[in-house]
Amino acid sequence: MKTIYLNNAATAWPRAPGVIEAVSDTLATPPSHPGRSVSAGTDVVRECRERLAGLLGGVPPSRIVLSTNATGALNLALLGIDLEQEASVVITVTEHNSVLRPLHHLAKKKGIRIITVGLDDTGALDEEAFEAAMASRPALVVMNHASNVTGRVNRVERFLQRAKAIGATTLLDASQTLGHRPVDAEALSADLVAFTGHKGLRGPAGTGGLYVNPALELEQVIVGGTGVRSDLMLHPPDMPMRLEAGTPNVPALAGLAAALRWLAQDGDAFCARERETARSLREGLKHIDGVRVADAASDPERVGIVSFQLRGWDVEEVGFVLSESFGVVCRTGLHCAPLIHKALGTVPAGTIRLSVSGFTTDEDIAVALDAVSSLAQ
Amino acid sequence: MKIIGADKLEDCFDGSVVFGYRFDEAWERETIMRLKSLGEVDYFPDFPRPFFRLRSKSGLQVKGVEGESTCRVIYSNEGKEVEKQSFEGLFVSG
Repeated sequence: MKTIYLNNAATAWPRAPGVIEAVSDTLATPPSHPGRSVSAGTDVVRECRERLAGLLGGVPPSRIVLSTNATGALNLALLGIDLEQEASVVITVTEHNSVLRPLHHLAKKKGIRIITVGLDDTGALDEEAFEAAMASRPALVVMNHASNVTGRVNRVERFLQRAKAIGATTLLDASQTLGHRPVDAEALSADLVAFTGHKGLRGPAGTGGLYVNPALELEQVIVGGTGVRSDLMLHPPDMPMRLEAGTPNVPALAGLAAALRWLAQDGDAFCARERETARSLREGLKHIDGVRVADAASDPERVGIVSFQLRGWDVEEVGFVLSESFGVVCRTGLHCAPLIHKALGTVPAGTIRLSVSGFTTDEDIAVALDAVSSLAQ
Repeated sequence: MKIIGADKLEDCFDGSVVFGYRFDEAWERETIMRLKSLGEVDYFPDFPRPFFRLRSKSGLQVKGVEGESTCRVIYSNEGKEVEKQSFEGLFVSG
């Protein structure tokens, strides 16, 4: 039985062409230590920084901090902003636990206040609620660029612009968008942008990063060896090493660099294909009796994610059957984003999530839809 | 068909417990139907790899795929000891 991989929102597969070879070649050759005093070979760390800076709208490469994943990047940002005691932070119901948990950690530790903006009747972020939240004079506004449950792209520009106008720092979680659609940090009014390398960028897991606006200086969360300025007892203050410490994951970054090269060349066509495939899947699911697509509106921009429930079946059971009986790999449950399920009415079980890529074929979609139809009968 | 191992996979919020069972041979239609002594069995022979599930009144659930030598069992909070005995008893006596 063929495996049909529809869990790209968790980790993209297959990887971008060239990734496996780049990782393998790096592991097979004597290690180079980019940025260290003796360095041989291609500086893939620098290449990643430069290409990521380009993807984020041409920001300075020195402001790209490389991390282990989006969670690592979000922790660098949220713990590095140095929020004052009882500071107000505005978030949305679409946030992932990689935002919620660090913030609740800070709520417990420093007493910060978390104000959550919900959805309006159309399923979009509630503008009135956001405006009301601005009255708390938030120190920080965090926004998810696209929901990892519904795939809906949040129209963050005007929200973040408004937040900046009242002096808040703005943090964009681009975990589900970078690589899938343009993410221009300046145009979106994002001071900080967190992203991962193993989803839309189609690189290896263990890669990711954080863009930090040149006007912003984060507190250091991780300190240690940098390979340069070894005489200093304190961690160097210069970006990007200010926020990086220890030997980088060079094999994975070599893979990410390869993925970024491929994306620069083939990304537009790939993403167009992905959007079309996701639309077919969404529309197909909506026509199966018993399927309830979460946030079913057809008009908003989305990344390649569709979530649903199936009448008469437990969510977890559908995932088991799709995977074990039909070879369709998906994900079930709350997807680490508990708040949006309350808004969607999909608590406590959550949803079955199918997430496509530009590699997903029409035949794959047909098999997945047939499988769901078989269960629905 | 003998049980060769059982691993606890999950503790659920409602107090139920999920186990993964391993057997010395694969599930066949005959062994699937034997579950009927414990409750209602749904069997989907037309799926590419036939799926089966058992649901008992007490809350016991068994899910698996014909041809596999594993299955997933959910014991309810209230009746887990009795349910465990009944389920495992099928194979001890079988």
